[in-house]
Amino acid sequence: MRDPDVVVVGAGADGPAAASRLAREHGLDVLILEGGPWHGNEKWPEPHADAGGTVSTDPDDLDGELLDEQFTHREADANDPTYGYLRVGPADHSRAPWFRNLHQNAFIWQVGAVGGTSLHYFANHPRAYPHAIDEQGHWPIDYEDLVPYYQLNEEVTSTQQAPMTAKEEVFIEGATNAGYERLDTKNVTSTGWRPQANAVSVPGKETTTGEPLDSEYEGSFSYDDGFRGDTLAGDHFQGGSTPVDAPVREKARKSANVSWVPRALDTNEEPNAGNVAIRPNAFVTDIETNEGLGTTEATGVTFRDSWSGSSQTVSADAVVLAAGCIESPRLWLNSGLPDDGWVGKGLTTHWFDWIVGVYDDETVAEINPESDHMDPYIGQNSAVRFDKPGVGGLEDIGMSPGLVSYADYLFSDAGYSFDTPVDPGEPWDTRGFVVGEELKRRMANYRQTKALLVLTDDQPHQENGVSLDTTFADEHGPVPKVRYEPREEDDARRDELARIAANIHREAGASHVHRCEWPPLLLHMQSSMRMGKVLDQNAEAKNVSRLFVADHSAMANGLGGPNPTNTGQALALRTADKIGQLYF
Amino acid sequence: MHESDGSDVSRRGVVKGIGGLAALSMSNATFADAKAAMTSPLQSDPHTADTYRAIVDAIVPRTPQLEDELGPEHVPGGVDVGLEKFLIWDFNHFQEIRAEMVTEKTHLLGGVFEADEPSGPEMERSLFELSLDLTQYGSTVDALFDLLDVSLLGLDVDGDALQEYLTLGPIERFEISFSDFEALTEGPAEFELVVETANETVHRVLQNYPYAALFTIVFDIVAAEFLVLGKNEDPVSVNEQFPAGGTFARLSREDRLRCLWSIVDGGLIDTLDEVLSPLVPDLGILKYVVMAVNGLHGFGYYTEWAGLGDTKTNMPTEREMQKDPSQVQSRQQTDYPGPSPGYAADWRHAVPDGFADPDVEDLDLPDDLTGDDVVDGIGGDT
Repeated sequence: MRDPDVVVVGAGADGPAAASRLAREHGLDVLILEGGPWHGNEKWPEPHADAGGTVSTDPDDLDGELLDEQFTHREADANDPTYGYLRVGPADHSRAPWFRNLHQNAFIWQVGAVGGTSLHYFANHPRAYPHAIDEQGHWPIDYEDLVPYYQLNEEVTSTQQAPMTAKEEVFIEGATNAGYERLDTKNVTSTGWRPQANAVSVPGKETTTGEPLDSEYEGSFSYDDGFRGDTLAGDHFQGGSTPVDAPVREKARKSANVSWVPRALDTNEEPNAGNVAIRPNAFVTDIETNEGLGTTEATGVTFRDSWSGSSQTVSADAVVLAAGCIESPRLWLNSGLPDDGWVGKGLTTHWFDWIVGVYDDETVAEINPESDHMDPYIGQNSAVRFDKPGVGGLEDIGMSPGLVSYADYLFSDAGYSFDTPVDPGEPWDTRGFVVGEELKRRMANYRQTKALLVLTDDQPHQENGVSLDTTFADEHGPVPKVRYEPREEDDARRDELARIAANIHREAGASHVHRCEWPPLLLHMQSSMRMGKVLDQNAEAKNVSRLFVADHSAMANGLGGPNPTNTGQALALRTADKIGQLYF
Repeated sequence: MHESDGSDVSRRGVVKGIGGLAALSMSNATFADAKAAMTSPLQSDPHTADTYRAIVDAIVPRTPQLEDELGPEHVPGGVDVGLEKFLIWDFNHFQEIRAEMVTEKTHLLGGVFEADEPSGPEMERSLFELSLDLTQYGSTVDALFDLLDVSLLGLDVDGDALQEYLTLGPIERFEISFSDFEALTEGPAEFELVVETANETVHRVLQNYPYAALFTIVFDIVAAEFLVLGKNEDPVSVNEQFPAGGTFARLSREDRLRCLWSIVDGGLIDTLDEVLSPLVPDLGILKYVVMAVNGLHGFGYYTEWAGLGDTKTNMPTEREMQKDPSQVQSRQQTDYPGPSPGYAADWRHAVPDGFADPDVEDLDLPDDLTGDDVVDGIGGDT
């Protein structure tokens, strides 16, 4: 695509949604530049070993069996932050990941690729709490402005209530015994529990035997054999590419490479739409601008090919940053655009914590007479949640053992459990890192262990976020330096939710409850290029015209705690409409 | 494709390597054998290997005491699967230093750039080069203090006290330098790492900054200060399991971890700021490194990594499972069957009629959450 109307920086969760809508509803030609690799596209048969093609516009380039081959679903293979196929780094796996400077006990967990961090997400698509948008004073738009876009996004991503398997039944037992009500709405304004709204097809929509998918099912899980829908494989963090043999768009978990990317490429075959081209391995290093009378106007971008090292400039009538909460502000700052003090700042992360419950066989058998174990690796990784607008929420999570050992016992800001006393008034038995004999003992109970993720309604603070590092630079300029420290009020909310989580475990009959006291885990990131500060109500930069942000950084706050992807995509769709209305 | 790291060993390095082959028990070593040994990605110097073994041993130890309770499969630990190699590999592939971003300029000279030099942010060459030759000094601390460009008078640390506890084990010389700096133009800069002991020299060329070995030097210095401050709870003793370790490996299992934690929470890095600054390109990353040292045990031990056999430290595109993921040691301990294309499991929908989803004109949302325990009076920056 030689002459795009709009260039989008980043093909993560949100960029492809914006691009699809720009082409489909506004007839525009859109080029998406993505710094990372593209999996499951026949133009890049070995994306980590070979430069492959240049650009893809044809939906027939997408190859689900190739994706199966590349996404092995093995944990280290997928998730090791240094060498896994889901990392932030150049596609060339003989090279190290891209460095982000972090001067604290903390971890950034993103994915740089077509599909972005949605490649490892659990596809949880709750909406924002209306309270966080309408009552907290950060947002220049109303919750109602987002509702039609939520509905569109939920349709495109097959968002629906998640299935309850053995581990969820244990959570429901605990939440019910604790006195919480079931919430049956998508617009949550009161406290209670509910199944997750997940962007995952219904389990066993069609099976190979004609029998329902249940514990008696003896058929195959292959698309070629006739299986359709979710396979309950718990593979989301490893890329979520089941059912095997399914075309990319028929994979059950609707990460952006499965949902919005094919839909965007389809525009190339539709006569009344514009066109979308996606170029991976293209890392944008500069935003080109024209200085007018008292104004700065975006005119295009310069990008660097991560295989060849060569750079080129693309002109466009509008530029959309969708590189995420870290790279969007870094690109802005490296481009020398005006900084009024909020660029990169106000980062929210849901100030996570992680509360682990270990159960004995009898307790689980009482709740689930059909199964001896909870088996946290079976079902969708996170299928049920707790909401408390104004404070935050909880998510019930089951994962494979490598991730579990890290999250449950090897990531803490409280020190080692052997040196970390527990206040007798608190509802957990232990805190901190668990190592040595005790780690092995607890991991021996892996199949009867599950955790509740605490998602805090942490507030945007100007001291948290992204700046340019003064020590290290890489081929794209100074690396991002990231800082996140909660304030006292964020801690207070987290503590309250941790107690609620421990209580839910207790009410379900957990024999042991452990509070990790996580340090910052930067996985949900929002609001580092906030509407109302850096951006106006159209998500256009206040200080640079024709420059928009359509990723999670555009959010004005952390939505009250719900997972950000559904809102990020809904907002990106709305921003696409604003771009079309304002400039085309 | 790039070769595995360490493949471009200079002839000088190979020859030096032969001198150190005693450690490899290769009495009839040919030049090719020597080169193979030199270029093996597993070839870490003994101090580095033993320091990481000491960490692995503290976090995922052998546990013979669990045999009666849980079964014999629960006895072996991280050292049994060579987990230190996982940590070393990850730290040695942690940061690429781009040649085009490195400059000869030093802050002392404050040189003026030529017109053809790269514009933009540069990193000084000196940030990444280190030479520590203990044979030239009376003590390890003297060698460290000689690297300082500040007066010893202003130091927060007591050198004599530190020296009482500090040992880098058998290390006599430790050097990190750019490989062929003059030839660097652009792309990943390669580094030479030399670790010399009385009876062997390990000389490697690495494609990224050789953090793994560097961090072990830091851990020994932190361990010495940890002992100076009396933060250890158990006695210190030479550990026969880790003969090439330094101060750090002589701490008890729990004290090794307390020592690491003192980097995050305990102010040791502040006290040691001046001493460590010449060693580490950016001291600030050490807190992050402590996160990684702990967390990587999850990514290494409890995943399928140990099943990669002799490919487990190859480049990622050249790793292959050599046993079924369910048969890996840790999987025997967690009873996880490994990934599957799907599961036959019972499930149900909890909301019989699905979620209510009125169109926007029918939304009737309450405009406050009073009575629902909203934490009051805490806004962020609006």
